[in-house]
Amino acid sequence: MPRARHLILNLVTWSLVLLIAFPLFWMIITSVKPQSELFRIPPTWLPETVTFEHYWRLLSETPFLRYFRNSVVLATTTTLFVVSLGTLGAYSLVRFNYRGRETLAMLVLFTYLLPSVVLIIPLYMMMVAIGLSNTLMSLILAHTTFALPYALWLLRSFMEGVPKDLESAALVDGATRMGAFRDVILPQLLPGIISTALFTFILSWNEYLYALVLVNSDAVAPLTTGVMSMLISAFNIEWSLLMAASVMMSLPLIVVFAFLQSYLTSGFGAGGVKG
Amino acid sequence: MANVTLSKVRKSFGAFTALEELNMEIAAGEFIALLGPSGCGKSTTLRILAGLEFPTSGEISIDDRRVNDLPPGKRDIAMVFQSYALYPHMTVAENIAYPLKKHGVKRPEREAAVRQAAELLQLEPLLDRKPKQLSGGQQQRVALGRALVRDPKVFLLDEPLSNLDAKLRSYMRAELIELHRRLGKTMVYVTHDQLEAMTMATRIAVMHGGRLQQFDTPEMVYNCPANRFVASFIGTPSMNQLEGRVEGGAFILGPDRIAIDRTMFRDDLADGPAVLGIRPEYIQIGRGPLQATVRLAENTGHETILTLELSEGSRITARVEAGSRHKVGQVLSLGLQNDAVHLFEPGENGARLNKEQTGAAVIPMRAQ
Ligand SMILES: Nc1ncnc2c1ncn2[C@@H]1O[C@H](COP(=O)(O)OP(=O)(O)OP(=O)(O)O)[C@@H](O)[C@H]1O
Ligand SMILES: [Mg+2]
Repeated sequence: MPRARHLILNLVTWSLVLLIAFPLFWMIITSVKPQSELFRIPPTWLPETVTFEHYWRLLSETPFLRYFRNSVVLATTTTLFVVSLGTLGAYSLVRFNYRGRETLAMLVLFTYLLPSVVLIIPLYMMMVAIGLSNTLMSLILAHTTFALPYALWLLRSFMEGVPKDLESAALVDGATRMGAFRDVILPQLLPGIISTALFTFILSWNEYLYALVLVNSDAVAPLTTGVMSMLISAFNIEWSLLMAASVMMSLPLIVVFAFLQSYLTSGFGAGGVKG
Repeated sequence: MANVTLSKVRKSFGAFTALEELNMEIAAGEFIALLGPSGCGKSTTLRILAGLEFPTSGEISIDDRRVNDLPPGKRDIAMVFQSYALYPHMTVAENIAYPLKKHGVKRPEREAAVRQAAELLQLEPLLDRKPKQLSGGQQQRVALGRALVRDPKVFLLDEPLSNLDAKLRSYMRAELIELHRRLGKTMVYVTHDQLEAMTMATRIAVMHGGRLQQFDTPEMVYNCPANRFVASFIGTPSMNQLEGRVEGGAFILGPDRIAIDRTMFRDDLADGPAVLGIRPEYIQIGRGPLQATVRLAENTGHETILTLELSEGSRITARVEAGSRHKVGQVLSLGLQNDAVHLFEPGENGARLNKEQTGAAVIPMRAQ
């Protein structure tokens, strides 16, 4: 009886995994199939010949690299903004006592509850008013506004986990407030900062709607909108190019994740104070 | 050498008052113990001295300088935190060196100072470890080391020995006394261990419920407790307190009359309800006007503590020699050593009614 249950459980889990993994698998397979194999029926599971011509075409004949660079700049700058603002904001929310502190924190989260469509038009008008429409900066600001509330809450809970006495000790030992923040709080907060950075980077990298509305010049389009408009038209979808682009768009995330994950699990923090 | 003054310091957290009108004058070079039960405001007092909490009102000065508006780093103090507060990402050596680094001490001198502190605290083999790889007692010694490397005006120590084993604790106690003698620095030492307070401090500040109860030498705190709280808090087993009445030259306790010497007490001592206090060691077994039944006899090895029930029902403890054979249920007659009797006002924390310097022979506590 337990054996059977075990089996069923395994079966269900694995089918779920396959279900989720299959599109990814198909994406990679399609990106290396030659054009002739693409629509063959029945489909070939593994390509008969592996080709990288789509990748080559993407890199040499399309503005893919420009979109890619835009996306890197966009996601990195947004992450920097969000992490630095979020860290300082969380510090203020946790460490300083002032009237309306809790209300402020709730209010910040409230903006996150609004659907982005509601915010997008006012944002667009604002960007036009301050002369930032159609720039990468407008997207950076927009992404910062929607990633910051969540980041603030995430960092706040991490900050609450840093014992107050650590900072007090640094202050007594002669550090300034900023010095104590840098020497003692930041190292403790590192796992929180890295998770927040990951979260923000992914959010910004994959964001589509804001990019579509706020930026319509091809020169500053990020990957999401750039690739779509380049390869999908009303008459034709360039499947193999699209799949190659998708693979390359996923790569940075995978690399970033693989690189930073070891930081997340290396167990900073424990053992600083008694109890 | 720096003196420390707290005048009219109050601290409240919202509606809760943690400290009420604290006045304390600490002379330069004193070793002060802040002693009191958990939650009485000892750490709060220390944190206010350190500049980590702002007093709700009142003045604080260090070395004759008002420091209310100085941040902790500018007060020239070193502190051991009750929670240790070691920096988890730094090694033991880096932890100890941190305050020196922040005060601009050069690397070679820093390393020498760290080595010296590590030697004093028996931490040499642990210098490269991270705090989480240490036991509680080792962490506490690192915390102590981080405070002792510097040469501040005032040391603030919040229960720095609480987590050490008995042997290490008495070693560290001796080391701290020696250190204080050598450096002559002002030290404020928080503890709820009266033995530590009695043996180390030049003066003890006994606190209770956010109020200073008595601020005096260990001898005075023990022999002339200011009120019922101090009397019961200092000394183990604590002072017996019997509720009764004063009538002329006698204390009336149920059916019994205990003769008292009225010249020992304040001139305004009136007849009426009062509390008689007597330490367990001044109860004389075998002769005297009172009758008591032995309820419990605890032999600790070098002495025996008897719990006795008086005829009117209240219980007292008496300290007798270890060899004495008393059986549970046995009825004894007993008396109180007359010059060791204290009288207190009735009420939860009644003040002592003796003239100041009376009381049994003063026990020297710490040979200076
Ligand atoms: N930040 C705070 N907010 C609210 N109440 C506080 C705060 N800090 C301390 N208190 C309260 O003030 C009182 C005194 O606290 P304090 O830490 O000074 O006690 P303590 O004498 O050091 O006790 P212990 O021996 O347990 O360390 C306690 O009742 C505590 O609950
Ligand atoms: Mg405390």
